[in-house]
Amino acid sequence: MDIRLLKPSDIPHVQHANITNLPENYFMKYYLYHALSWPQLSYVAVDVSRPKKSPYDYPRIVGYVLAKMEEDPPDGVQHGHITSLSVMRTHRRLGIAEKLMRQSQRAMVETFNAQYVSLHVRVSNNAALRLYRDTLGFKNEKIEAKYYADGEDAYSMKLDLGFIREQIVDEEDEDEGEPVGSLGKEGGDTEVNGGDAGPKKRKVRVGRGLGVGDLVERDESHKA
Amino acid sequence: MPQVLSAKEQGLFRTVVRNYEDKQYKKGIKAADQILKKNPKHGDTLAMKALIMNSQGKTDEAFALAKVALQCDMKSHVCWHVYGLLYRAVKNFEEAIKAYKFALRLEPDSQQIQRDLALLQVQMRDYQGYLNSRRAMLTARPSARQSWTALAVAHHLNGNLSEAEGVLTSYEETLKNPPSKTDFENSEAVMYKNSLIAEQGDFQKALDHLESAGKHTLDRLAYYELRATYLTKLGRTEEATKAYRALIDRNSEYKMYYDGLIEAMGISEDKAAKKQLFDEYAEKYPRCDAARRLPLDFLEGDEFKEAADQYINRMLDKGVPSTFANLKHLYSSSFKKDTLPALVQQYIDSGKSEANDEPKRSGDTSKGASAAFYFLAQHYNYYRSRDLDKAMEFVEKAIELEPNSVDFHMTQARIWKHYGNSQKASEIMEKARTLDTRDRHINTKAAKYQLRDNEGDAALKTMGLFTRAETVGGPLADLHDMQCVWYLTEDGESYARQGKIGLALKRFTSIYNIFDVWQEDQFDFHSFSLRKGQIRAYIDMMRWEDQLREHTFYSRAALSAVDVYLKLHDKPLSNGTNGNSDANGDDAAERKKAAKKARKEAQKAEREAIAKKNEPNKATKEVEADPKKKDDDPDGAKLAATTEPMNDAMKFLTPLLQFSPKSIDVQTAGFEVYMRRKKYVLALKCLLAAAALDKEHSKVHQQIVRFKVAIDSEFESSESKISPKTKEVITSEFNLLPASTSLTKFNDDYLASHKDCARRTLSALSVRKLISPDAAPTCEKDVAAVLKLSAITVEEAQEALTLLRSWNSSEVDAFKSSAAQKWPKATIFE
Repeated sequence: MDIRLLKPSDIPHVQHANITNLPENYFMKYYLYHALSWPQLSYVAVDVSRPKKSPYDYPRIVGYVLAKMEEDPPDGVQHGHITSLSVMRTHRRLGIAEKLMRQSQRAMVETFNAQYVSLHVRVSNNAALRLYRDTLGFKNEKIEAKYYADGEDAYSMKLDLGFIREQIVDEEDEDEGEPVGSLGKEGGDTEVNGGDAGPKKRKVRVGRGLGVGDLVERDESHKA
Repeated sequence: MPQVLSAKEQGLFRTVVRNYEDKQYKKGIKAADQILKKNPKHGDTLAMKALIMNSQGKTDEAFALAKVALQCDMKSHVCWHVYGLLYRAVKNFEEAIKAYKFALRLEPDSQQIQRDLALLQVQMRDYQGYLNSRRAMLTARPSARQSWTALAVAHHLNGNLSEAEGVLTSYEETLKNPPSKTDFENSEAVMYKNSLIAEQGDFQKALDHLESAGKHTLDRLAYYELRATYLTKLGRTEEATKAYRALIDRNSEYKMYYDGLIEAMGISEDKAAKKQLFDEYAEKYPRCDAARRLPLDFLEGDEFKEAADQYINRMLDKGVPSTFANLKHLYSSSFKKDTLPALVQQYIDSGKSEANDEPKRSGDTSKGASAAFYFLAQHYNYYRSRDLDKAMEFVEKAIELEPNSVDFHMTQARIWKHYGNSQKASEIMEKARTLDTRDRHINTKAAKYQLRDNEGDAALKTMGLFTRAETVGGPLADLHDMQCVWYLTEDGESYARQGKIGLALKRFTSIYNIFDVWQEDQFDFHSFSLRKGQIRAYIDMMRWEDQLREHTFYSRAALSAVDVYLKLHDKPLSNGTNGNSDANGDDAAERKKAAKKARKEAQKAEREAIAKKNEPNKATKEVEADPKKKDDDPDGAKLAATTEPMNDAMKFLTPLLQFSPKSIDVQTAGFEVYMRRKKYVLALKCLLAAAALDKEHSKVHQQIVRFKVAIDSEFESSESKISPKTKEVITSEFNLLPASTSLTKFNDDYLASHKDCARRTLSALSVRKLISPDAAPTCEKDVAAVLKLSAITVEEAQEALTLLRSWNSSEVDAFKSSAAQKWPKATIFE
């Protein structure tokens, strides 16, 4: 299974994986909106060993993370948001979801100077909760009542990305071209540092003021 | 002469424009009417009113009014602009471009018109026109970076890379101060320029540029990836090695990085060195899968055995459900195909798996022995190593250990599918669904298997457990809204199998329309991406959209649609559009009758809908909300009532031939359609393309002979409409038959060299029946005899049965009973 950046040509199969696995679905333009606004943030897991059936065979997507930056953060702090994450049932227990998340989180910091990343998860989704809370270190912010279309509540979760900023600073101190970071190295066992001791903040121009309003559609559709 | 407005009315006119922009349509109309009261022939006001009406959904009235506006004031750019906008709204882009160009000629300085024109040009891939527009826009707004970037993009798309690069450089030279490191737009523009340099093949320049201007780009991954690529291209292996190692440290699950590293280290042929390298990473990253799995691709013999044993033990201990899926590509090697199940058997025999007693998640694959049985079940279910009875035996063992495993039941259902028993397969998949009703994945599978078993209503009900409850129109409408391609395709194919032609065509048309939407979706990004500054991603999207319909999601549905149209042509419907298709004997008159009936029904429905709408207090909400959504042919009756199925098929076929010319299924389908349309040159073109892909293909063989027979009789016919020139082209291009061989011998040779292949044997036998009708009885017997071939599959037997049925053969019953004997668990021969 390859873990790599999502490309526009992956989108039909990402959409297929999404509607196969999850009740919250989006039409293609919303995926394009992610891929063309923050092309560094969304990742896919691809089954590359499968022999091609025709010259026009697109690789099958077995997992994806669809991620974005919050366009106009109400708290004024640059942060990422996980729009959707899923892995095909047939490809569980390989740590794919975690690996996808770690790639995306790193890019959020590197490219868009995200301070933290947020997401929503069904209160009953124990497997996802284990991943976010225990493996990745997310903290519960609050419960959003009846967040999902079927009436279920959501946990609103957050992960401070200060630890990645520190990692990057450490790496910059090292020799250029040397190995960078230790993404997914120890995964499940890593104590994630949630402190605010990040280095000085950078200013990055994103989203805001660049007139993206009319393209934001079916965002958080499940809330409607 | 155009009317001139008073100062007060001019103010009012500005209000109209503002109302339109603010989407206050009722107010806008009111204000416009106020102006028109005094100046009924004021073109601009009429045009604005038309534009607002269009936004209110009154397209026809809007067009009529816009024409009046133009008659009043031919020289108004507003009128022409609006006219273009209306065409744009109904997606008639060619007419829209023409209107914009008129408007622009009258008002050359209008930014708005120029912009609208440019966007349409790039959408329509008129790159030269786009280039001209972007040049004009840059002249008008030279200070904005976007103007420059856009011109570079236009050059790039137009194929002129160095011009594109030059434009970006020119802009950079206008900057007095270097942009800040955190200026995202600049960071991306630099990387875009870098991609342009690389695309021109100058990797040294690209590397230099990357390491200077791009050194601090915010897209770190792109920086590392491109640097590694360039260093490799330049043969700077030592640095490339370091660069790839850095990438693997970022992401150890990407084969491309390992491939790059191995190439840079120059150890492609050195298996021991490669293995050592992978071992190093396996140790460094304990949770990494790639470093453990990839060596299995190149290792052989005992080394393979040892590595595979370690891999399998690790995976089965963890209970990774995709263990088999991760390894099955190795089955092209017969040694590996035999070794892997033996290792799994050893794992079971060793008994060590029982030590695992960690609690597991509900419905997931469990660890140890049951995971091993599960692997073997999948092994024997796989087409390269198929033994369905053994597969069933192992999956039952696995289920015995884990009676609530969703995964095990899923595989059991798949085994039933391969037995040719779709009913039992659907039953078991439904059972699997009930084991974890909150999981949409298994819900999806259950619905799919229901469709395969032609249980459409049940499938929709299953899907409805996860679709949005509040969508008007229920689950099916939601699946359309959410562009659920797989469901619509399977549903259409299910209807086609049942002879419900109308509904089948309806679903395939929905897929066609979804692709139209996907093509239209790119429109907003032509401006959006420039504002966002993400140019590389935009170019990626453009390249992909250019090939959009080569996607298998399109070709599968389109081929199915063409197939339905072919059947409709060969055997027109007699008893309703969605009835049983078995009925025989029909003629054009009856088809016309059916078409008339369908039209009448549709008209009646329309009248009723209008009547309903006009009834006060009774109008349903959804009709009001979106009048466009009303479907006047929900069951596809109109589609199926076509009197020209071959013309209709062209809608699906044309994109297939354009975007998937290397697909043999596409070329053979094209042949079938063109033959029926008597377009012999085009049919020949398809046939030649198909033969170039695989001359021995069963369909191609048949089509070669059929083509020969057809043109011979056409050439001899006194009523032939073929011109001497066409005849000459066909004769000189059709070179697929050896000159001195008779058709009979050609066919006999084919049969002799493919006598072990059921599909090709069937092809040759149907050819024999065609060229020597006297041999029909023996042909039918020979078809029945394919059951004796050792390699014949259930699917091939089904094709044989279909062939016998199409001949109305007396062998059908005997064939069915022998097939049922051969495959006792199959239901398809009942």
